[in-house]
Amino acid sequence: MIRRDRFDLLLFALLLGCVLVLGLLLLKGQAPTGSGARIDKALEQQIAYQARVNFLHNLYQPVEQLRQKGQLAAALLKLDELARKYPQEAHGEILRGEILLKRKAVKQAIDHFVRAVRLNGDYVDQASPLSRYPEIQGLVEAQLPVFRQRAKSNPQSQSLQNTLTGLYYLQSRLAGGCE
Amino acid sequence: MRIGYMNCNSEKETLERFRPLTRYLSQQLGVDFEVVPVDTQDFPERFAAGEFEFTHTNSLVYLILHEEDQLQLLATEKRGRYGTHTSGSIISRKGSGIRTLADLKDKRMVFGPQLAPSGFLAQYDLLLRAGIDPETDIAYYAIPSGSFKHEKVVYGVYFGKFDVGAAPSLDLELMVGDGKIQADDFNIIAESPIIPYCTFGARKDLDPQLVEKFRQTLVQLTQDATVEFEGENLKVLASAWVDGYETLADSDYDLLREMARRANMPPYQKF
Repeated sequence: MIRRDRFDLLLFALLLGCVLVLGLLLLKGQAPTGSGARIDKALEQQIAYQARVNFLHNLYQPVEQLRQKGQLAAALLKLDELARKYPQEAHGEILRGEILLKRKAVKQAIDHFVRAVRLNGDYVDQASPLSRYPEIQGLVEAQLPVFRQRAKSNPQSQSLQNTLTGLYYLQSRLAGGCE
Repeated sequence: MRIGYMNCNSEKETLERFRPLTRYLSQQLGVDFEVVPVDTQDFPERFAAGEFEFTHTNSLVYLILHEEDQLQLLATEKRGRYGTHTSGSIISRKGSGIRTLADLKDKRMVFGPQLAPSGFLAQYDLLLRAGIDPETDIAYYAIPSGSFKHEKVVYGVYFGKFDVGAAPSLDLELMVGDGKIQADDFNIIAESPIIPYCTFGARKDLDPQLVEKFRQTLVQLTQDATVEFEGENLKVLASAWVDGYETLADSDYDLLREMARRANMPPYQKF
């Protein structure tokens, strides 16, 4: 058996001390845990969400202004222009749906509402600043019987079947169903 | 069997767009269909002469053929933001100071071809309903010659040759989508109500089963449908620049009928 002298014991004690200090430092250096971390994360998400809402508001402001002035055709053209740069943006789809509804192009309006909600469920979330819950609810209630009848009268029409399926999808999302 | 296709911009374009669709119809129906490109103005006369059994025309020519020869409505084409419908816009160059219909008096205006529902009739009717008689209240109006008249209207206003133009909303949409023009280049002074877009029809005395199968084949077409054409496998709808087809009722064309009556245009023209 190897005999240890006092020097070995001293080295061993120093080594143990270093490991303990390193361990403490590591624990201290980690990100905050528990409720503190969750608060930071939630705050970050809220800030990002608010920034996104503000960005959308600014981006589509020219469309809103034209719409408020009753210049629906010009508003739609502006949306066409914005769609070149942001082709998958749900907010553009929502605005397009609202304007087309006003222009009495109901089927196309429904198709755009469906696309918007598929891209972003906030439009059927009553707590969201982007929410269009009452409008979409009104649309579904008014148009579901109409398109059920139209699809029944034209069973070969794939397009009408798609719109009807879209209305059922909106109904499900309004009721809180997931995809 | 022959399908008469109205030339929208040019005969070449008509053939390029509709030959694959026609091949697809031939395959699905087991009938050898032939494409017959037809100038808009000649359409009623050539249809009456029995030169084709099926028709693909704008909605105003459908009205004329329905009224005069009892053409059957088959399916309405979907293209652009209004789907089976379309509309006409009156435009001026941004910065011209022409912003409302009241500003149009004594201005130079350019229209699309006379039988164009969304390039002539819709705007003519808009003016009449605003108390402006295009024949007397504007300085003069012109119609471009040759092919691609609708784009010529838009560029005619853009480059200042005319103060005001009658542009189909679909053409504005497509040109903005292609980046040819900017939405901010123009004032949209007015836009008409939406009216049905291009329409397939069938001669009244055709076999009803064939007609129904033709209609069903059109409305069942999806974006995925393909056809072998000249050594290539083409998407049928995309090659025809079409989003799909739907069945409308003849009464869906009543708004257009009212416009034609107010504007004293065929098939209700009185001298």
